[in-house]
Amino acid sequence: MPILVRLDEKLHERRMTLTELATRVDITVANLSILKTGKAKAIRFSTLEAICVALDCQPGDLLEYRREQDTP
Amino acid sequence: MTRTSARALAVARPVIQFLTVLNACYAVVIAGLLVFSYFIEGWPQRPLGVDMVNAHPMVGQGLRAIVVVGLAGAAIVHTVLRRLLAIVDTVRAGDPFILENADRLNAIAWSVLALEVLRLVVAAIAAAVWEPGRIDAFSFAPWLAVLLFFVLAGVFAHGARMRADLEGTV
Repeated sequence: MPILVRLDEKLHERRMTLTELATRVDITVANLSILKTGKAKAIRFSTLEAICVALDCQPGDLLEYRREQDTP
Repeated sequence: MTRTSARALAVARPVIQFLTVLNACYAVVIAGLLVFSYFIEGWPQRPLGVDMVNAHPMVGQGLRAIVVVGLAGAAIVHTVLRRLLAIVDTVRAGDPFILENADRLNAIAWSVLALEVLRLVVAAIAAAVWEPGRIDAFSFAPWLAVLLFFVLAGVFAHGARMRADLEGTV
């Protein structure tokens, strides 16, 4: 999928673990892991908002569109 | 799930299995009677007490045709019960909103429609050879059931698509 999820980088930047984020946004680690690994088909605005609040960032910091031919 | 529907679900499986066996027995018995009718001398007047003087000349063939229609009906009922059992199993497994169930309900709707048509065929044969001019087999309820099954199939298909959309949503 040409939408890349940059959750891992943001977590690293904020020195936060996936489990810690899961507790803060009230989403299971399993679901966050699906999002982090790019296996999610869709993301709810409420989830995006909760992650943005927890990581103090913008949706654009978490998601990136990349054209198919650009992806390695 | 309400207590009534939970109880109905618990009872549904053995009831459907019992009806499947009963339907198979019915098919075997009427198939046996059909075959037997060719070996009985003076059929149908002697075993059934038909007054052949006043009866329709095709009464024998008419009765056999009704049995053949009955066998076709039993085969259709068997497919309906198998599909119903598969649907009940998916409900018990907690995963009923799948496209397979929508297809099953759609097939059940067509089967019930076919059964109703067969019922009219039986009534027409009976009216022709047994009680001339008397057709009182039409009823609105089965046709309403057919409509209900088609609507339910649509609801299930829509529900399955919605669930597929939600799968993978975080």
